[in-house]
Amino acid sequence: MIQKIIFNILQVLVVMLLSPLVKGVIDCLKENIQSKKGPSIFQPYRDIWKLFHKDEVVSEQSSWIFRFTPFICFTTPMFVALLIPVLTDYPLFFAFMADMLGGGFILALGGFFAALAAVDTGNPYGPMGASRTRMVGFLAEPVFMIVFFTVSFVAGSTIPYIVQKVWVTPIANFFEPSHVLVMLAFLMLILAESGRIPVDNPSGHFELAMIDESKGLEYSGRGAALMKWGGCMKFFVLLCIFLNVLVTPWGLAGSGSLWEVLLAVPLVLVKMFFFIIVLVIIESSLAKLRLYRITEFMGAAFVTSLAAVVIQLLGI
Amino acid sequence: MELLYILAIPLISASLSMIRTSTQKIAAGGTILGTLAVFILAWKAAWGLGHGIEVPGITGWLSCDGFSALILLLVSFVGLAAAIFSWGYISERVGDSGGKRARQYYRRYNLFLLSMLAVPILSQVAMVWIAVELTTLLSVFLVSFENTAEAMEAAWKYVVLTCMGAALALVGVLILYWGQSFIATGPFTWAGLSEASSRIQPVFLKTAFLFILIGFGTKAGLAPLHTWLPDAHSQAPSPVCALLSGVETTTALYAILRLIPLMDGVSKDNSSTWFIVFGLISMGTAAFLLIQVKDYKRLFAFSTIEHMGIILVAAGLGGEAGYLASTYQVMAHAVTKSFCFFAAGAALLMTSTREISSVRGLIRTSPIAGISLMIGGLAIAGAPPFAVFLSEFSIFRASLAEGRYGVTGLLVLFITIAFGGIMVHVNRMVFGQGLTSPAPRPLPLTCRVTLAMTVIPVFLLGFYVPEPLHNLLRFAAACFGR
Amino acid sequence: MIQLNALAGGLFLLTAFGVLAVRQVIGCLRLFVIQSILLAASACILGYELASIHLLVVAGITLGVKSILIPWLLFRVLSHEIHARREITQVLNIPTSLLVAAAITIFAYFIAQPLLEISSAAFSRINLPIGMAGLLLGAYAITVRREALPQVLGILTMENGAFFAGVSIAPNLPLIAELAAAFDVLIIALVMGLLARKIQKQVGTTLVGKMATLKEE
Repeated sequence: MIQKIIFNILQVLVVMLLSPLVKGVIDCLKENIQSKKGPSIFQPYRDIWKLFHKDEVVSEQSSWIFRFTPFICFTTPMFVALLIPVLTDYPLFFAFMADMLGGGFILALGGFFAALAAVDTGNPYGPMGASRTRMVGFLAEPVFMIVFFTVSFVAGSTIPYIVQKVWVTPIANFFEPSHVLVMLAFLMLILAESGRIPVDNPSGHFELAMIDESKGLEYSGRGAALMKWGGCMKFFVLLCIFLNVLVTPWGLAGSGSLWEVLLAVPLVLVKMFFFIIVLVIIESSLAKLRLYRITEFMGAAFVTSLAAVVIQLLGI
Repeated sequence: MELLYILAIPLISASLSMIRTSTQKIAAGGTILGTLAVFILAWKAAWGLGHGIEVPGITGWLSCDGFSALILLLVSFVGLAAAIFSWGYISERVGDSGGKRARQYYRRYNLFLLSMLAVPILSQVAMVWIAVELTTLLSVFLVSFENTAEAMEAAWKYVVLTCMGAALALVGVLILYWGQSFIATGPFTWAGLSEASSRIQPVFLKTAFLFILIGFGTKAGLAPLHTWLPDAHSQAPSPVCALLSGVETTTALYAILRLIPLMDGVSKDNSSTWFIVFGLISMGTAAFLLIQVKDYKRLFAFSTIEHMGIILVAAGLGGEAGYLASTYQVMAHAVTKSFCFFAAGAALLMTSTREISSVRGLIRTSPIAGISLMIGGLAIAGAPPFAVFLSEFSIFRASLAEGRYGVTGLLVLFITIAFGGIMVHVNRMVFGQGLTSPAPRPLPLTCRVTLAMTVIPVFLLGFYVPEPLHNLLRFAAACFGR
Repeated sequence: MIQLNALAGGLFLLTAFGVLAVRQVIGCLRLFVIQSILLAASACILGYELASIHLLVVAGITLGVKSILIPWLLFRVLSHEIHARREITQVLNIPTSLLVAAAITIFAYFIAQPLLEISSAAFSRINLPIGMAGLLLGAYAITVRREALPQVLGILTMENGAFFAGVSIAPNLPLIAELAAAFDVLIIALVMGLLARKIQKQVGTTLVGKMATLKEE
């Protein structure tokens, strides 16, 4: 019992400490593929450290929402990290606190406050970006829901640990058409939610075209550090759900020994590394979509997930 | 072996057309001789069948029963007539310098004729599907022959819609095969299927029937998928139009009508209702759209849609009288519609315009074209004493005998509306006052020969059907029963 | 094995959606190539399971004709200068089209249901509904798309769908019929490609959905 609580806390620590590393690897790899010399993979750590040591400037016209949001954006991914399989494949202490739907809502809470805070400052670029983020968000909602419904039809539950078991044991289940289609739909969803090409350009500086980056525009010092770190953790958490539940549900600790759990950490990083390679290839070969074409992209994701549900329901 | 020769001769004519000469004489002459040979062979087969002699073929691949012989005869007759007409028409349209284009025309013509001849004599159902698909593909470039923007548009719509229908029909054919494979008897031919059909599960037959009706119905011009027909059948050169309207739609309808003996039994009422409903809808659509055409070839094209509807209704009415009436209608329509298009071609050569409003007093400009157009219009609209009148009358009689007053009423209504529409336009064109200009050149000799040749059956079959021909019709009708 | 077949079927359905919705015309062609490869894969799996050389030959023919020959032909006939790169508008906008496509797929399942109740073959349960859905989606793609090449691909998708259903319900169709059908599809692609090229020369554009001069007023 104590062991499970320790492992849970270990899980959250892993998410906190390793998420900037993942972001660093992505940035470096993207630059390398474009034949440039990228930043060091530890650069996000240095950025967060630097921001914590700077002064914070807060607008007088802003309200408590602006001050609270960095904390909310920092803690919501940590809550979700308590619920999902990061290191172990058996449920831990807090695992039954909420299921995947609950996890999705908690992440959405962070996004909601970020959007409100962006409007709070009165800067014109903030609300523009916030409304665009909301548009992508509400288009992504049906896809989220249907992916979760499909997955719960297959597994009979919405707790990620139980869902993951379905695809681990009989290997044939992995190739089920509904599973493949759900993977595709979820991949498109991750691209949308974490603001990567083709939905949004994460390294763009042009405020008129920003979607997801705009939520961090007005922050400085500690607030900026927390927002940045929170963004990294949200991405890490989404990747954990995708990889550990849907795509590669192997390599997680099966028993209760500390050694196995610690061994699972580099394995998770290796899985993420392979996925990052795929992501970087996608990012480097596509162009960012025009704003109204995002509806078509999300429509395609929706139809893919709908096809998965239909195929699952009609019992192929 | 005759059936093999029938298939081989158009291939020889097509290859003859590839010989590079500056005039079209070899190509045209070869085509005419080839179609004459095919016609003689088909006549021999049909005459033999009319007297009760079976036609030799290759069992399982090529065969010829009553209905096939009828279609074969009609295809070869119209093919011969159109080939003779083409000589004059193409040399007028293409001009003296167009040897290459004329040769292209004859090559495509022969291949098109080959595919239409193949449809009735192939016995494997899958091969029949392929042959019907080929009739479309080999006629696309004939439709777009004139190379105008409208001709291209017509050809594109033609190929897209008919290939779509053919793909639907393919699924129907595959479902039939599936249904038959449960019984595991017999080859996948029309004869084998009708023998096994009592043991095939009705749901297979019904589903396949619907798919094939909609799929091949698109090709035959049944509403609501008829939209390609007026365009394609008006933009093509006139002899090709005669082939398209007269016999190509009939070969598509042949494939549909072959399903009738399969549906005998459990699914009978279902299929006849579908036939009657589709037929009446086609007739109604065509009759109403006929009234507002601006182009006289489109007028005749809509009349084709109407007649296809009539044939379907007659087949749906069933019974010996109904089937005999539908085969008679098939024959009358093929002969009459091709004559109408030959007349329209003559009018086009004389006036160089397709618009109805620009043609007035044709009888003064060119008496032959005027009279032919008048006869054609009267004949296809169903006036006595022409063949179409007799066949339509026998359909009325058949439906009254069955007690279907509603169907008869609608039939009469639509035919009357179409009659009115056709006659108003043709009358204005032939006798109207207004713009008249003298004909630029006299009508080419071969065109006149064709018109004279094809007007004879149009008249004759209204009065008197020769005994062997009547026997052939009865044998054809017997193929629908079991 | 049956799962692999189901996977091929699911991806086949996805490519049919793609032919409907992708704007890039060359992208549609690539999706068609993938679709034909999936059809050949399904035929292979069925041939292996039913121990039928016949189906393996069919798979080979499909691979050769539909995955290699036809795309090469279409690419050659409609080269870059002739066809448009991207389709600007469709009759309905793309998200709505995708929803209609989903409805059509469900409709195809309902049509196939009565037929599947009688048969008990496991492969027909997958192939028949997906094949019918491919057929109907191809027909829908023709009505919705305005450019020439996507309309050609719509027809070829319909044929692919019919064959996808056919490999499971009619595996013993005489080989000559299969060969002739493949040849037939080749001719369809050739004829439509050449006609589209002629249209481009004559009219100046391959936007065939907008050509509507022939009609009654």
